[in-house]
Amino acid sequence: MRTLDQLSVGATASVRALHLSEREASRLRAVGLFEGIMVTPLRFAPLGGPMHLRTSTGSELALDRELARAVEVDPT
Amino acid sequence: MSTVALVGRPNAGKSTLYNALTGGSAKVGNFPGITVDVLEAEVELDGGERMTVVDLPGVYSVEGHADPESDEGHARRYLDSLVTAKTPHLIAQVVDCTQLELALRLTNELRRRGAPMVLLATQHDVLIKEGSELDAPALADALGIEVMVLSARERGVTQRLKTFVGDAQRKLEPPGTTALDAAKLAKSVLKPIANVEASASKARKRTAQLDALLLHPVLAPFFFVGLMTALFASVFLVADPVTGLIDVVNRAVGGWLEAKLGDGWVTSLLVDGVLGGAGTVLAFLPQIVILTMAMEVIESSGYLSRGTFFVHRILKLAGLGGSAFVPLLTAHACAVPAIQSARIIRDPGQRLRTILVLPLMTCSARIPTYGLLIATFFSERGPLFKGAMFVGLYFAGIAFGMIASLVLGRTVKRTSKPPPLVLEMPAYRRPQLRVVARLGARAASRFVRDVGSVILIASVVLWALLTVPGPASGQHSAPPGASPRVVAMHGSVAAFVGRALEPVTRPAGFDWRLNVGLIGSLGARELMVGTLGVIFGIEGDDDVAPLSKEIRDAQNASGARAYGVPTGLALMAFFIIACQCMSTLAAVRRETRSWKWAGFVFAYTYVAAWLLAVVVYQGATLVGL
Repeated sequence: MRTLDQLSVGATASVRALHLSEREASRLRAVGLFEGIMVTPLRFAPLGGPMHLRTSTGSELALDRELARAVEVDPT
Repeated sequence: MSTVALVGRPNAGKSTLYNALTGGSAKVGNFPGITVDVLEAEVELDGGERMTVVDLPGVYSVEGHADPESDEGHARRYLDSLVTAKTPHLIAQVVDCTQLELALRLTNELRRRGAPMVLLATQHDVLIKEGSELDAPALADALGIEVMVLSARERGVTQRLKTFVGDAQRKLEPPGTTALDAAKLAKSVLKPIANVEASASKARKRTAQLDALLLHPVLAPFFFVGLMTALFASVFLVADPVTGLIDVVNRAVGGWLEAKLGDGWVTSLLVDGVLGGAGTVLAFLPQIVILTMAMEVIESSGYLSRGTFFVHRILKLAGLGGSAFVPLLTAHACAVPAIQSARIIRDPGQRLRTILVLPLMTCSARIPTYGLLIATFFSERGPLFKGAMFVGLYFAGIAFGMIASLVLGRTVKRTSKPPPLVLEMPAYRRPQLRVVARLGARAASRFVRDVGSVILIASVVLWALLTVPGPASGQHSAPPGASPRVVAMHGSVAAFVGRALEPVTRPAGFDWRLNVGLIGSLGARELMVGTLGVIFGIEGDDDVAPLSKEIRDAQNASGARAYGVPTGLALMAFFIIACQCMSTLAAVRRETRSWKWAGFVFAYTYVAAWLLAVVVYQGATLVGL
């Protein structure tokens, strides 16, 4: 399984599934990270900090690395 | 009269439209979750009829789980209350055109509620720059909802908006009910503009460039710490000359009064009570204005999210998450709005933990006392040393806040670990100078009002308490050779109370005079300087000198210098930690819905402040400072 945190900066992938509790998943969907959307990592904060990514809807997000590990992606 | 509720995702532009409609001045932030309160205003329409316009905190969703105490919970509760109270209402969803798909997901949820709706599509100018435009009629058709496209900066937008919203709230038509796919719909109504090259807008390019610098893995921390240091240092260095000037004016007026009125109790009341108390505090006006304006610039520029992005990891070590960053930063101006803004933290345990440590951040009310103590005990040092000391006090507040969070995490069961960070990163925006200036002016007028009312009254009351003789006025501690008035003060009611506390405070190097200051500043720490101003104004007797000099020259009962550097440092330590602020305690009670936590904050900060003051005094004495 490829996860969001494994993508390299600038690579694009589509979100396949959110392996999270319903509550956490709905929070991600609310800020624009949902199944089928394209995501591109912009940078990773040092020391295991959050990652900064852009989605194909045009929004930019900061996402905790532990959540990124639970987002399954299909690299394109 | 019907109600128009502005609903939308955080940072969609609700507050801007609210201001346009009501002529109000809601704070416009560039960070998700800046509107924490439900704002309400009545608006008169052309025909003379009225409607109520409500600005709600941002919501991502109105279905599924939401913590009732979070800002989203507050917004939802308000919407539900409109339904239960059967208030005729119109939901005006504010839609950021550049985030259309996400906005339409919320639209779908709102339509399912069945209340009459309109869409207000903002940021259309930005969308055009990005090479697309919105087909509003098609969108309106598909949704069965009227759509208005607008840009907040355009001319005459207020009138157009009023007419549009006014018409809709007269009709109150329920929205269409066909289920729609947000993604498909968004794609079908966004039309590319033929001649505009899809030049990823300038704003976005600039944001990317700035991010490359401001979020640089190596440079970012330096930039952040540098920014904070520059801010805190400028509060001291830029404002210092102005403060000095106000001080000079103060003394000139004092000298003139003494020459004009001669020696007597009226002169003492005016010079020692009013000028020495309230007047001295007034000299700290510039610092407070600078700090308020700088905070607004940081916030509205969009840098807050960037700060959160890389501070998250560090805050996590202290058991606070990135979501605590905004309240923590806000608390450097004032803890009261900071405690309220903790509502953006969705996890209740984490919110409590944040609220409990917020009072330790260095708020602007501490600035006068810090300024006075540095001027008193380090007067011979250069401005660089003083500035560094000032910055050090700020960082000490942050450090003790982190320590408190770690200790509270272990001892208070209800607190919890930070939840994982999920945060939108808005594009950078140029801060609106008008808003920055207005906030600065507001801070100034509030401060002047405070000085003119609470601090003035407190100064006069204190002057009275220092004049009325207390019990056991025979055994006083006045320095040898003191004038009758100083001797009288040492036997006053206030002195009696202050002296009763001496057994507790002596290990920290505080005598009765400082104790009176601490009692005087129990409810509001900005009263400290005014209180000391009155005490040492009387003590200084005839010569009109700056307060710092009078404290430095103060004598104890045996005629020796009363205070040295250790006492100064101990006082600073006390002020870093003690929650000497009734407004803060009231805010804690309001936000936690319990007096228990307010009492807890009061108790733990005072005990910790006293302990630290004792340790600092004893330590400093030991090393011979």
